[in-house]
Amino acid sequence: MLQFLSSKKAAPWLFLSPVILFAAVFFVLPVVFAAYISLTTWDSLSPPRWMGLKNYQYLFATDPIFWKTVWQTLYFALGTLVLGVPLALVLAYALSRARLQGVWRVVYTLPMVTNIVAVAFIFTFLLRPTDGLLNRLLDLLGLPGPGWLTDPSLAMLSAILVFVWMELGRNMLLFSAGLNSIDQSYYEAASMDGAGAWSLFRRITIPLLKPTILFVVITNFISGMSYFTLMLVLFPGTQGGPSRAALTTGQYMYQMAFEDLRLGRASAVSYVLFALVFVATLVQLRLMRRGGLEEH
Amino acid sequence: MARRIWSVAKYALLILGAALMLLPFLDMLLGALRTPAERLARPPVYWPRDPQWGNFVRVFDELPMLRWLTNSLVVTGTITLLQMLTSAMAGYALAKFQFRGRLNVFRFVVGAQMFPFFIFLIPWFFILRYVPLLGGNDWTGTGGAGLLNSYAALVLPFAVTWYGIFLMRQFFLTIPDELLDAARMDGAGEFFIFFRIALPLVGSGLATLGIFVFLYHWNEVLWTMTVTRTAPDLQTVPVGIYLLRGAFEQEATKSLQQAAIFVSVIPVIVVFLALQRYYVASVTSGSVKG
Repeated sequence: MLQFLSSKKAAPWLFLSPVILFAAVFFVLPVVFAAYISLTTWDSLSPPRWMGLKNYQYLFATDPIFWKTVWQTLYFALGTLVLGVPLALVLAYALSRARLQGVWRVVYTLPMVTNIVAVAFIFTFLLRPTDGLLNRLLDLLGLPGPGWLTDPSLAMLSAILVFVWMELGRNMLLFSAGLNSIDQSYYEAASMDGAGAWSLFRRITIPLLKPTILFVVITNFISGMSYFTLMLVLFPGTQGGPSRAALTTGQYMYQMAFEDLRLGRASAVSYVLFALVFVATLVQLRLMRRGGLEEH
Repeated sequence: MARRIWSVAKYALLILGAALMLLPFLDMLLGALRTPAERLARPPVYWPRDPQWGNFVRVFDELPMLRWLTNSLVVTGTITLLQMLTSAMAGYALAKFQFRGRLNVFRFVVGAQMFPFFIFLIPWFFILRYVPLLGGNDWTGTGGAGLLNSYAALVLPFAVTWYGIFLMRQFFLTIPDELLDAARMDGAGEFFIFFRIALPLVGSGLATLGIFVFLYHWNEVLWTMTVTRTAPDLQTVPVGIYLLRGAFEQEATKSLQQAAIFVSVIPVIVVFLALQRYYVASVTSGSVKG
């Protein structure tokens, strides 16, 4: 027995055994458990009652909030893309051609390593309506300062801006890695032909960086769809911001589960959101393969 | 001419961006240094005239900051070591052994990465709650709180990282098989080969994974908050600060809250500055080759 355990044949399975045990308890079991619970009504106090697909039916056909959260989730995910990705690309491009790269990189990645509670509280103070830094600055310019976190029409935009601030460093690191892998001789050749900075950027950088851009766009989209911790801590004590204006599907699921104890319906929400994210992931794989990124 | 403009513009851009990155931190620091009177003045004072550096000491006297820091260190340290060990072992098995089922295991590891975290929140909570025979539970899993009110609840669900296995496999692939086979010829056992020969060769890979995991889990809030809402003794720094927000409703007390937030950021910044080379590698290694 001992001889077998130390043989080359048993070794890979012994090395894999912690992971296999983990996969059974914390991966397969939860996925199956959540799927089953989503077909029941369950408050964790009494045994679950079988409901079939009624939870899903309720979400799709009856629940007025669910669809609102789906649209708001899409708004958040797309908003962070539209504002965050071009900004990160331009800054990474400037960074790749500047001195003191290490210093810039540290500055831009600081928000990324800051915990989300600190980020949320930093901005809660910074965005305060009367004495927050932002509205003080607007006041100096003679502009009226809105209630960034209290006005329902601005709450989600504020969350998007905070998220962009937080994730800028990560996207810049990814773009920098992509930019560094572009052969400098392309730029030299084009410069000899008299190309300016802008046309170098547009005709060489953008096309050669396409795989990286695609990767950044799609991973950002997926994480944006799944994300809600920031909104949870940025609007504490509310149901997802003023008038639920910053309520995303993930947070809707979280509150349904851990505040209302509607665990069956919450599990159904998590599976619907998972399906949406999964479709996005498949699109990612398809696009990447076409974009020449066989690795993934 | 255009070139001159660009070289000025790129620095202007970088400086403007850097200011936007740093200003919020500065705003928080100034807030932590204000006196209660400065906060309550109308209009409120922005630049503290009498900086209250003592607030950073009060954070340790008046809040359970040491408890939170200890919890953060214990939980994050354990998770980091566990993930490094399980990822290295599994990555090694997948990279350096030929065995039946290897491809399927690898597919599982890659596929599992597609499952978003939120899927597991509800089932993990109740699996830990109703685990049989532990934490006062009987064999049917009822009667007690299960593992919920323990470090195990914070650590076990994060004992393995699929991404880490994938990453470590990549690093182990660079080790030549001949080296390992030579050790086998000399009669070395498989565990000896792994721990004494293979593992030291992927040291930088392990560091890359370790720093990434450490920073990620130091900052983890969602799961910890869910599990420790009713267990203050287990709360980590960010979660403790968040759940104690009710104690800072009064405007006069908010300088202390801001000081606590500042303290919560310092440890990661130190770790990050010390090991940022590895951190940069960990962020970009999942993306584009090269």
